[in-house]
Amino acid sequence: MISIKNLHKKFGNLHVLKDVSAHIAEQEVVVIIGPSGSGKSTLLRCINYLEQPTEGEIVVDGIPLTSEANINKVREEVGMVFQRFNLFPHMTVLQNIALAPVKVRGMQRAEAEQVALVLLEKVGLSDKANAYPEQLSGGQQQRVAIARALAMKPKVMLFDEPTSALDPEMIKEVLDVMKTLANEGMTMAVVTHEMGFAREVGDRVIFMDEGRIVEEGLPDDVFLNAKEERTKAFLSKIL
Amino acid sequence: MNFDFELIIQSFPLLLMGAGVTVQITVLSVGFGLLIGMFVGIARLATIWPVKMLAAVYVDFIRGTPLLVQIFLIYFALPLIVGQRIDPFIAAITACSVNSGAYVAEIFRGGIQSIDKGQMEAGRSLGMTWGQTMRYIILPQAFKRIIPPLGNEFIAMLKDSSLVSVIGFEELTRRGQLIIARTYGSFEIWITVAFIYLVMTFTISRFVDYLERRYKTDDKH
Ligand SMILES: Nc1ncnc2c1ncn2[C@@H]1O[C@H](COP(=O)(O)OP(=O)(O)OP(=O)(O)O)[C@@H](O)[C@H]1O
Ligand SMILES: [Mg+2]
Repeated sequence: MISIKNLHKKFGNLHVLKDVSAHIAEQEVVVIIGPSGSGKSTLLRCINYLEQPTEGEIVVDGIPLTSEANINKVREEVGMVFQRFNLFPHMTVLQNIALAPVKVRGMQRAEAEQVALVLLEKVGLSDKANAYPEQLSGGQQQRVAIARALAMKPKVMLFDEPTSALDPEMIKEVLDVMKTLANEGMTMAVVTHEMGFAREVGDRVIFMDEGRIVEEGLPDDVFLNAKEERTKAFLSKIL
Repeated sequence: MNFDFELIIQSFPLLLMGAGVTVQITVLSVGFGLLIGMFVGIARLATIWPVKMLAAVYVDFIRGTPLLVQIFLIYFALPLIVGQRIDPFIAAITACSVNSGAYVAEIFRGGIQSIDKGQMEAGRSLGMTWGQTMRYIILPQAFKRIIPPLGNEFIAMLKDSSLVSVIGFEELTRRGQLIIARTYGSFEIWITVAFIYLVMTFTISRFVDYLERRYKTDDKH
């Protein structure tokens, strides 16, 4: 579904991603872990071209990221959920979700709102359709953000630390929605340090450090029997 | 010194008509300025460098030269280029609009830059183009934040529009000058003119305060 070959990303002199190659299969859930600054967010952001790769090749669902037209096509297929939700504060929850399907997919407003209501039910927020983001808790906002991304019917979902801005009691409600998605067969790349989630729904864990993929494997293998010293050192800090 | 109160009463209707013209030129100039400023402000944030540079040159030129000189330039230099005299009204509106546009552009730029970068990223990640995200996500939020500085720009333009009196355009200040030329009542007329400006600017600034308060409690929607 996603294939990344020899990806490099530099910010000026700062070499953030160094020769990263990875493959994410259809319906696979890949969890990316690693210390702060190791390039996890940058990698996700390269996949939908929020950051322009310096070198290398990324192909999403058979579409190479080369021309501007392709970039928009890829973005239609790839949903992204951010650490800080990034809901549109001047729109209601319903409008947040229905906007892109209308503007990008050319859907009729009524139909888009119908889709939005179905998605809100799925994330357990049917009663919040007409609320504004600021009236919701962090966990509710993040669930709306997930619904908003799903409204574009993406083939892949990228999550960049979706629960790290949340109070502990709200983390579960967001992870539950993500688990449901995974069980329905969504292809997902998730940056998170929620080990429970990684072990329960992750098909594979990638450990990154200093811009490189240091180790990858089945969640239990990586968490319980890491081969690399750096992985062990990192896991001992967070577990 | 004898203060001629009768003169003030007699001239008042004429001065009020001048004030009406002042308001008219201000509304038109800031209106066009808003249009120019929105596009130039966005252009200053563009990634295409010729667009960005052109916008910067325009803003720097206008903000780096006196409005009075800009009015002369348009009134006296433009006819040489166009090959015919231009009407003082057209010249006045053009000069003030072009001037206002540069200041409004900076206001827009600041307003757009004050919106969290995550908003643009969220819009783009949903597949919307840069233009769509600007239009539906960024600008509606920026508009609310720039109401106070736009109000100040309106007040500044209302006062600065007195400069178009130099090309004989009959707004409030020019009306005052004409009445003085006829009656020699400089003190009475200038104090009345000042008073009328003050009432106008005070009214607008109260209105802007009101809008600001309303949107502060109501920042998100
Ligand atoms: N737009 C940018 N300009 C310059 N440097 C950047 C930019 N974005 C990220 N970086 C740098 O790239 C490096 C990797 O950042 P990235 O956000 O990908 O790390 P991360 O693994 O997601 O970290 P965290 O766990 O803190 O989110 C960091 O050193 C960061 O400072
Ligand atoms: Mg990050």
